[in-house]
Amino acid sequence: MSRSSSSTDATETPDATPTARRTFVALGALAAASFIPRTARAQQGRPRKSRPTDRVEPPNVPPQPGVAPGENAAAFAEWDTGGLSRLVRRMTMGMTGADLAQANQMGWNGYLNYQLNYSRIDDSAVENWIAAHYPYLVKPTAELVLINYDDVFDQLRGASMYRAVFSKRQLFQRMVEFWTDHFNQDRNKVESLLVNDQRDVIRKYAMTTFPQLLKASAHSGSMMVYLDQNVSDAKAPNQNYAREIMELHTLGVDGGYTQNDVAELSRVLTGWTVDHDGDFAYNPSLHDTKDKVVLGTTIKGQSGAAGQQEGEAVLDLLVNHPSTARFIATKMLKWMVTPTPTVAQISGIAAVYRATGGDIKAMLRAMLNEQWVSQAPMKLKRPFHYAVSALRSLNPSVTSTKPVDEGLMQLLGHEAYVWDTPDGYPDKIDYWAGSILPRWQCATTLSQFQSSATIAVDTAPYRAGSPAAAVDLIDHNFFGGEMPVTFRTALLSYAGTTTLTDAKVRELLALAISSNAFHWY
Amino acid sequence: MSDEMHEGCGCEEYNALSRRRFLQTSATITAASMFPAWLPKIALANSYASNRDIIVSIFLRGGADGLVLVAPFGDPAYYAARPTIAIPRPDAATNPGVNLDGFFAFAPAMAGLAPAFAAKDLLVVHGAGIQTNDTRSHFDAQRFMEVGKPADATIFTGWLGRHLASIPPAKPAAPLRAIGVATGLQKTLVAPAGDPYYATHTLPISDPEHFTIGGSSATIAARTGLLQGNFATAEEPLKSAALDAINTVDLLKAVNFNGYKTENSAVYPTSMFGQALRSVAALIKADVGLEAAQVDADSWDMHADTGPLNGSMAQLMRDLSTAVGAFYADVIALGKYNVTVIMMSEFGRSVRENASAGTDHGRGGAMFAIGKGIAGGRVLTKNWKTLDRANLEDGQDVPVGIDYRDVLSEIVQKRLGNPNLDFVFPTWKPTTLGVTR
Repeated sequence: MSRSSSSTDATETPDATPTARRTFVALGALAAASFIPRTARAQQGRPRKSRPTDRVEPPNVPPQPGVAPGENAAAFAEWDTGGLSRLVRRMTMGMTGADLAQANQMGWNGYLNYQLNYSRIDDSAVENWIAAHYPYLVKPTAELVLINYDDVFDQLRGASMYRAVFSKRQLFQRMVEFWTDHFNQDRNKVESLLVNDQRDVIRKYAMTTFPQLLKASAHSGSMMVYLDQNVSDAKAPNQNYAREIMELHTLGVDGGYTQNDVAELSRVLTGWTVDHDGDFAYNPSLHDTKDKVVLGTTIKGQSGAAGQQEGEAVLDLLVNHPSTARFIATKMLKWMVTPTPTVAQISGIAAVYRATGGDIKAMLRAMLNEQWVSQAPMKLKRPFHYAVSALRSLNPSVTSTKPVDEGLMQLLGHEAYVWDTPDGYPDKIDYWAGSILPRWQCATTLSQFQSSATIAVDTAPYRAGSPAAAVDLIDHNFFGGEMPVTFRTALLSYAGTTTLTDAKVRELLALAISSNAFHWY
Repeated sequence: MSDEMHEGCGCEEYNALSRRRFLQTSATITAASMFPAWLPKIALANSYASNRDIIVSIFLRGGADGLVLVAPFGDPAYYAARPTIAIPRPDAATNPGVNLDGFFAFAPAMAGLAPAFAAKDLLVVHGAGIQTNDTRSHFDAQRFMEVGKPADATIFTGWLGRHLASIPPAKPAAPLRAIGVATGLQKTLVAPAGDPYYATHTLPISDPEHFTIGGSSATIAARTGLLQGNFATAEEPLKSAALDAINTVDLLKAVNFNGYKTENSAVYPTSMFGQALRSVAALIKADVGLEAAQVDADSWDMHADTGPLNGSMAQLMRDLSTAVGAFYADVIALGKYNVTVIMMSEFGRSVRENASAGTDHGRGGAMFAIGKGIAGGRVLTKNWKTLDRANLEDGQDVPVGIDYRDVLSEIVQKRLGNPNLDFVFPTWKPTTLGVTR
């Protein structure tokens, strides 16, 4: 195990309470055996200043690791320090040495607050670059529909990739990815409308409150088209959106609604459609003006413009429903903390949702506490995350990310905005783990980019010193100084002792990106 | 997932894997949450045929016009509905269709498949499609066919993936049981998460000849070896995936794609599709344990200027029939290899041509099955009627007389030796059509 700095090996008392210890012991041997000592050691290894007195406590939940038998908690302990670096891994699209240094300076809550208050982070360099390179993304729908949609789409996914790699608002980018899947749409169906949805729904509300986000999505022309709400009318209500808004967006499939609720809500939503350009519109002539009953609440039928208020009332029902609080809490926990959240964790975060009106930042703050994050098993990066993290560590000069957005993401099976079903790309290790060779191919391709027209990786810093110094730099840039010892040995051996060539450096970079530890976060 | 489930899945080992143990293990990998509750359990393996066919599944994406591929020249209504894009009768002076049974004819550009039909190894199923859902969306129809259960948003595994997951490998420890000749795995081949039953060892490989980690060939062995060592201590399921990938790299390296010699004087077209089938043929003959291949033929969505005789659709058909014809000659005709080919598209197209000399999204289309075990040499239909408006679905489309699952179910059971039809095509109660011999 490699430490980021031996000077942090202070002799502080671990703050794990006796209660926490007992819970650890009660764990299945599988997870606990290699887990406890590492955690304890890591806690000893943190400097005092990284645990400010205002640390966020878990929301009134007994400490329980989110580890089920068979989960891969142990492997984390092989190669990280178990403390702050885990938070940085969870909160970024790929931890670099610079990220970890910044977090070490700020401490746990300092770094958490820094990323949560994303709007205070100056990201103008990235946004100016986007504005200069991708002018379509600020255009209104009426103009977008006149532009070749493939060109529009190149800009949309290019901006998404560029922001994910270079934005300092890394937690925000993580949440954009999360909500993009939560409110998934297939570009082949919605085409250029997706620009508005990404801009005016997902990015605008990604870290506001869930009710704001859900309502923005429900007023998105793109969503209306994707889930066939635009072809629904009083005579033949289409149930697609009515079903998915309950099943996938709010209550969850076991959230307590019935097929009858779906049918009733589809009648409530008649008239919710798009205008000629594809922007959201309410059309009273399509609306079913009779009374409806949704989730036990009678929705009085209304005509004229007032008919839209029926749907607005149901949106309020949905965002205030306890099932929604649980569903969103569970899904966010799985995304940020652990694939197997405990009942207590879910209840705790759902309580935060209810207490704060679905405040996304408050939920994140509550779940990214030191205890939960330190005990969480590692997660496999999905391909987008993997490619972005590789680019963050390679830190290339970028003119266009198109070769990554297109060829590589297709190769990895994770091309942006083409998952066809409304459930979004899975966040499940079993879905992704089988396709490892494409990741290695991706690593090779990324490391070899040297085009001023697209991406150029500069090997000079790695050739400035000895091969061992190059491996140290790789350790810093790709592993935050926590490169597993066995891999370091193998990489040093491969690097040899003679002066590194450009080609050899690129091979070392590809091996680093290909290595086991780099696939996890 | 546990190591036990990655052990060689040969029949002997399989028989030792009791049902109880399967259920216990699956519980620990949250299979319950991955498998919809309605998915039936898998039957025991004792009865599986040992010399089952390899299946090559070809998807014509975009909605191929079945009335061009296989034209009902015996129906005057066909010519009335398609004044400019009909296939001429087999007795026509120019561009005659290839007579199949006195009523249906191949388009001239489909002639590459005529030898297989004449040898009674090719079955045409016409008016085929999805009976239980009338979607005319590419998006929905392709998905419904590939997952094998229409209109169910909870299912994202493919019928072929579930087939592989419910039958022991034909060759124990084969690192590559199925290949999707594509950059990303086609839905058809997506297996149940975690491979809880049999590891399906399925990879998307767009170019089997160059399946490596990339980079300099001088150092590739050293780099691959480094990764092999690095992943030897990785956590599951990544460890097994990595070892599978490395084994597959080694396996494909040993297959002589470049110098592959066809049999029976077969010549594959140089198109991507032709080369894909050539690679599949090389893999089959290398006898590496391949059981399934999914190959796509794109661009059949012709709303305008279909060009069935000299235009774009003729070009597509020529490539398709030449390539599949070559595969038939090379791999199937001599009867040396047990292989079944199927070809299908998400839907057929509207009977009447539109104002742009094209056709729009329709319903029933043409489906094909080729193999020594296929009861071929005929055009199979059910309730086929003349193409007069009154006989059409919604007044516009060929009705779906035969559900695609009835065709595939029989092949899965009789040619692929898998009795778990309710796992492969959930909730479907198949009707036996006599697709196989």
